[in-house]
Amino acid sequence: MQQWLELATVLLFLSNLAMLGLSELGACVRTVAFQGILLGFITLIVRQEGLSVRLLILSVMSIGLKGFVFPFLLLRSIREAGVRREVEPFVGYVTSVVGGLLMLAVSMWISARIPATATAMSSFQIPVALSTIFTGLFLVVSRRKALNQVIGYLVFESGIYMFGITAVGEIPFLIELGVLLDVFVAVFVMGIAMNHINREFDHIDADQLSSLKG
Amino acid sequence: MNYNLLLGLLLFVPCAGAAICIAIRAPGRILAAMCTTVMVWALITLKLCLEVFSRGPIQAADRVFYVDALSAYHLCVMMLVFVASSVYAIGYFKEEIRSERITRRGLHQYAGLWCGALAAMTLSLISNNLGIMWVGIEATTLLTAFLICIPRKAASIEAMWKYLMICSIGVAFAFLGTLLIAAASGGLHLSRSETLLWTQLRVSASALNPMLLKMGFLCLLVGYGTKAGLAPLHNWLPDAHSQAPAPVSAIFSGFMLNAALYCILRYVPIVEQATGRVGWSLQLLSLFGIISIIVSAAFIIFQHDVKRLLAYHSVEHIGIITLAFGLGGLGTFAALFHTLNHSICKTLSFFAAGRLGQTYDTHDMTKMSGTLASAPVWGTALFGSLLALIGVAPFALFMSEFQVLRAAIDSRAIVWMILFLAGSGIVFVGALRHAIAMAWGEPVSVAVPESTGMIEKFLAFAPIAVLLVLGVWIPGPLLAAMKQAASVLRGF
Amino acid sequence: MNAQSIVYSASALLFSPLLLGVINRVKAIFAGRTGQPLLQTYYDLSKLFRKGAVYSTTSSWVFRAGPTVGLASVLVALAITPFGRVPALLNFPGDLLLLAYALGLMRFFTVIAALDTGSAFEGMGASREVQFSALAEPAFLLCLAALACKTQSLSLSTIISRMNFGLWAKDGPALAMIAVAFMAVLLAENARMPVDDPTTHLELTMIHEVMVLDHSGPDFAFILYSASLKLWVMGALLIGIILPVRTGNILLDFPATLLGMIALALLIGVIESVMARLRLLRVPQLLVGAGVIAVIALILILR
Repeated sequence: MQQWLELATVLLFLSNLAMLGLSELGACVRTVAFQGILLGFITLIVRQEGLSVRLLILSVMSIGLKGFVFPFLLLRSIREAGVRREVEPFVGYVTSVVGGLLMLAVSMWISARIPATATAMSSFQIPVALSTIFTGLFLVVSRRKALNQVIGYLVFESGIYMFGITAVGEIPFLIELGVLLDVFVAVFVMGIAMNHINREFDHIDADQLSSLKG
Repeated sequence: MNYNLLLGLLLFVPCAGAAICIAIRAPGRILAAMCTTVMVWALITLKLCLEVFSRGPIQAADRVFYVDALSAYHLCVMMLVFVASSVYAIGYFKEEIRSERITRRGLHQYAGLWCGALAAMTLSLISNNLGIMWVGIEATTLLTAFLICIPRKAASIEAMWKYLMICSIGVAFAFLGTLLIAAASGGLHLSRSETLLWTQLRVSASALNPMLLKMGFLCLLVGYGTKAGLAPLHNWLPDAHSQAPAPVSAIFSGFMLNAALYCILRYVPIVEQATGRVGWSLQLLSLFGIISIIVSAAFIIFQHDVKRLLAYHSVEHIGIITLAFGLGGLGTFAALFHTLNHSICKTLSFFAAGRLGQTYDTHDMTKMSGTLASAPVWGTALFGSLLALIGVAPFALFMSEFQVLRAAIDSRAIVWMILFLAGSGIVFVGALRHAIAMAWGEPVSVAVPESTGMIEKFLAFAPIAVLLVLGVWIPGPLLAAMKQAASVLRGF
Repeated sequence: MNAQSIVYSASALLFSPLLLGVINRVKAIFAGRTGQPLLQTYYDLSKLFRKGAVYSTTSSWVFRAGPTVGLASVLVALAITPFGRVPALLNFPGDLLLLAYALGLMRFFTVIAALDTGSAFEGMGASREVQFSALAEPAFLLCLAALACKTQSLSLSTIISRMNFGLWAKDGPALAMIAVAFMAVLLAENARMPVDDPTTHLELTMIHEVMVLDHSGPDFAFILYSASLKLWVMGALLIGIILPVRTGNILLDFPATLLGMIALALLIGVIESVMARLRLLRVPQLLVGAGVIAVIALILILR
């Protein structure tokens, strides 16, 4: 178990780096889907006490939503908007990837100060969870396309989810479901919003939405 | 008294109302259905709040719901804002429909989302579980996003996108904070259904891990603070407030910001208890409050758009409320009083700005001069509410700001006091200039002559009267309610 | 220095050109051609040795020294590279740095020999070579550092001899990442496919080949031979990591490692057949990616 958990954690971090280094929107969406499936898998193996119906439902929902429903919605937006890649992000790709490493370093520094690491089986999980959160934030602020900002939001959310399942022991099932539902609605709403933007402006460049100032 | 039923109805009525509003076909009846829903909801809320103020906190549904004086007080403020805005919406949208700025589909969307937002905000106010409180706030964000772009224009879509992105990320931060709080309670070995119950955490606050609690509170402050419009996280606020239809701006400013602040307040007693009552979290609140006051003051001077001006006023007043909560003692009471005053006043000023905007077909203050002459009812309302907002005596906002000042002196927070005075002074001068120019400037030709019925006149003048009365005399029951609510926060 | 090491070094000198033959053969099969014979590299070498060298009047001694120094450096590298359980001819703590420097010296002389010709194309190739190796070298060193931390040793021979399947079971993810990063470095350093196309005939797209255009006869044979030795050296390290067969019986271990080398050549052939060369702008991303993966492996091992 420990071995698989470690592998999944490492893969999660590598997928963050891939996200930072990829320019093609479709590839980014597929990486997000991969992350969702990975998180569903981690949900199953992260607890020592073994499987329960609760974990199984959570895992299936996570995989279903993040691995299939969201990518479907996002890929459809890509098709409708007719954009294929991010052109000239605010921060270059190689710089972003190196930044991703720095984020990991900062996360390790922070997680060394979190006394809860005892609950996590592998001490690599909390740093990776935190660095996933940072990666999400970074993607939101450093990319121009509205779609990439949604992807950033999803990565951010995945990071929080990862943090939740590793650092926090018991959370009421109701909240977990509520959170998943909220994220689902959020992505849905953002998808519709992007559709509006595309129809009104003929592009989905969030940085060109700048008529309101002061 | 079956509280399960009462609280269940409180959530069910708006949800059912939303469904009905979407199902109705006749455009004229959509808003009527919406108003009826809000009225029924308001009656239930009133009943609930009276129970709480007379008999103490209520728990229901296996401790998932918990209403104490603090939440009841906020529910009352919310009730005032929602009832007034719903009634006002009828007149406002009649004009919008006449000038063909809104379609029937937009009306459906508006009424449905309005009731949905009502349910979501109610959920976050009455839940005992901090996780469900978060779900309520996040749902509010998502439901209100499309309220901003009801007349679908480029600018309103831009405002909606900013609101959606910034608040979603912010509120996600708040969730991270909630998780950290849950992690902090790891040493208590709570059962799954007890984790994150406010009442549980409140009782066993001393046993929580202070380090995790502090990290969690920082995340919560940033997260809910974004939603509450605290500077420097307020960027979405002026855009959203200026582009949304007037009733929506009114509930945004009049209550949504306070709802987010309420969520932060819930954590304050827990954090204070766990960190040894040294005022760590209160200091942070004061700091954010002061930054908001100063930043908004700087923007108010150079504003041209009347709704953006009001939006920055919201940032300023949320800053004042936060500062007052941070001062503690008398400040807590002053903050609660100011919450009520500000919500009444800001609701009124957005009402006036919305109707005047329709009259002049613009929100540019330089093109809206001579309002007293060309639109006497709403012109007077806007002028009156602007005076109240900048703290002219004897309006109630002056009284509450004065109390904040006294609280600052009491707690020897001289630096805060000086900065607060400087900020309010700048706002006073900056906004008064705009207010006088709009009221007594050279009258310009209007696009649509003002026509107001009895209800609109009542909506325009009653709040001013209330503010004047509250400025000189606080009724006994209100005073008692505020004292009870303050004791929830002060009792650590 | 023992008999096994001597036998191994001799076999490396003998078999290394075979790797290039295997790679070419795999590519030919994938393309549906008959392809060159397996031993083509040997024929090429013997042909080149029988020819005379031509030197431009504008070039200096640097140009003549390039291939010789290159071959000498790679021989040093070979002397400190272990082969599976068989230790290297020379081993001492810190020899992993010497390996990096020996390969660096070889590259340096190839580059300045290319610059010495004064040809614009060769200058271009030299510039690319230096740019990419500046990114590949940190990744290479990080991989070695991670291995050194894992096995608590600074000598390549000890590092490789301490690798075993037990280590893989315990620290699989980290070792896998080292292997992936190392593979990327190997492909880049040996001018193989996703980075450089060894069969290209367009100077503008070449990296390594364009630098040695002006060398002829025995000089070019030296270059060809050092290239195959370099592939062998790095391949031996990679196989030492990912295929640590340590039964204790030399007659089993040695052929297993040798088979591993052949398998590696097959793998490179497959990669070359199925992948297209990356755009030059994307190459730094690949190498930085390899470096980043190596850093993560190092972090995983250090914690």
